[in-house]
Amino acid sequence: MSRDVIVLGAGSAGLAAAVTAAREGAQVTLLERHGYAGGMGTASLVHTFCGLYRMGEGPPVMANPGFPAEMAGRMLASTGDGGPVKMGRVWVLRQHPVDFVRIADELLRESGIEVIYHAEAFKAGREGGLWAVDYACRGQIRRLEGKTVVDASGDAVLAGLLDGASYQAEPAKLQRPAYVFGVQGVIEGEQGLALAGRIVDGIRRGVLSQAALGLHFRASGRAGELFGTIDLSGAEEGDYDPLDGACLSRLEEVGRSVAGAAVDFLKGEAGGWGGAYISHWPVRAGVRESRRWQGRYRLTGDEVLGGVRHADDIALAAWPLEFRETNRGPKLRYPDGDRAAGIPLGCLQPVAPEGIFTAGRCISCDHDAQASVRVMGTCFATGQAAGLAAVLAARGEPVEGLPARLEARFGPLE
Amino acid sequence: MNQVPTAENVVEMLRDEGIAELAVDFPADGNLFDAGMDSMAVMQLIVVAEERFGAVIGPADAGRENLETPAALARLIASKVP
Ligand SMILES: Cc1cc2nc3c(=O)[nH]c(=O)nc-3n(C[C@H](O)[C@H](O)[C@H](O)COP(=O)(O)OP(=O)(O)OC[C@H]3O[C@@H](n4cnc5c(N)ncnc54)[C@H](O)[C@@H]3O)c2cc1C
Repeated sequence: MSRDVIVLGAGSAGLAAAVTAAREGAQVTLLERHGYAGGMGTASLVHTFCGLYRMGEGPPVMANPGFPAEMAGRMLASTGDGGPVKMGRVWVLRQHPVDFVRIADELLRESGIEVIYHAEAFKAGREGGLWAVDYACRGQIRRLEGKTVVDASGDAVLAGLLDGASYQAEPAKLQRPAYVFGVQGVIEGEQGLALAGRIVDGIRRGVLSQAALGLHFRASGRAGELFGTIDLSGAEEGDYDPLDGACLSRLEEVGRSVAGAAVDFLKGEAGGWGGAYISHWPVRAGVRESRRWQGRYRLTGDEVLGGVRHADDIALAAWPLEFRETNRGPKLRYPDGDRAAGIPLGCLQPVAPEGIFTAGRCISCDHDAQASVRVMGTCFATGQAAGLAAVLAARGEPVEGLPARLEARFGPLE
Repeated sequence: MNQVPTAENVVEMLRDEGIAELAVDFPADGNLFDAGMDSMAVMQLIVVAEERFGAVIGPADAGRENLETPAALARLIASKVP
């Protein structure tokens, strides 16, 4: 049986794409290798939605209409948080990965999407005028056929499988990976600057490794629960390569060993940490940047900084360039006048072949622009656009009409 | 042999080491946290202050009042120089 749209990957972008396409009346199948949706926002425990709100002074206003706004509303209702908070100059929404999974389940159920978890796509090609995607599940190989495919794999997996045109920044420039883990049992514990001082003290005394310099904690919003994030160099041994199994495996090992040592140390020395324990490991270490599709348009960092708009914009990039090229914290570059740049349709369209769209952190843009567009708020917006584009293409309607269709459906950009 | 830093030296150190992105003429009483210094940057700062000045800043010293401005930091480091 063939369907209209196959969405590869159920992260922020894939979820938005699948839900949007299904609500348009398309038959959609969503393939995901994990047992739940959310991608980095669940399986890698990334716990803040950035890029949802306009930049600049004033109260928080949604930057992109439609799915991003709906996710923000559902998340607030689920966590019970009061609203977004200001992080430096920008508004962010705290999100909890457990809530994210439940919200995704509801959305997928409500919109009647066929979801296949535990399925890793490993081959794709044209067959009889359709796209065929092969996936492996428990020693079995199955095939899905669809009119169009959305590659929301985060790593442009489809470009890898189809030998499609793609690019990736050199190892030394790639945004660094990070390891996020959950901690519970901290009661009014030492935090912030004092905790930072405590960790450096542990490093000075040789109890903690230098890698602990990349560690910081944030409250999850649930009583006694924190998320620890360790920014890793990725080059613990050799060059950082986010598509290489051996390199990814080292990240997992280093992340867990640094986290374990740090929590043991803080348990013994930091006030309020006596009962602390690690309550969850991520399914996977967090990867910020890897392979991207080469599209009909390549958004640049200069355009994001200039707040440049295009005639065929399908979403807005409402986040500064957030560079993480070292594991020593972010470097932020804000657009002129805090104006959000537009992301044109061509960023979602691979140069070839037809019938494939991409969304999320692997859209067509340069390394600098990706430093902005990778955030989840923007992934929801590019995912929504790719979902609708895939439906238009599946129906043989011109995809050039997408900006107008998005506006008619969800309202204007800005 | 360890020198006692001035507020200007502190600004220079924060800039050189990429700990905070400051203007060359960042004022001695300017707020470093408002300028983007966070707890991770403070960790780098503590390491660098020890490397450059031999000043050992312990967990009890890592309070806002000691770290908030270049002037306060210069005083803190001076008090910790062996
Ligand atoms: C440490 C870290 C901190 C971050 N902090 C923030 C933050 O504070 N705020 C923010 O908004 N963003 C943050 N980001 C960025 C953001 O989390 C990601 O860029 C975003 O979640 C990417 O979404 P995506 O849908 O494009 O890809 P992903 O979330 O990576 O989703 C891709 C999905 O595809 C699935 N998949 C991949 N290949 C296959 C295959 N072959 N078969 C089947 N399924 C497949 C994966 O399992 C995954 O579920 C952070 C990222 C990291 C790593």
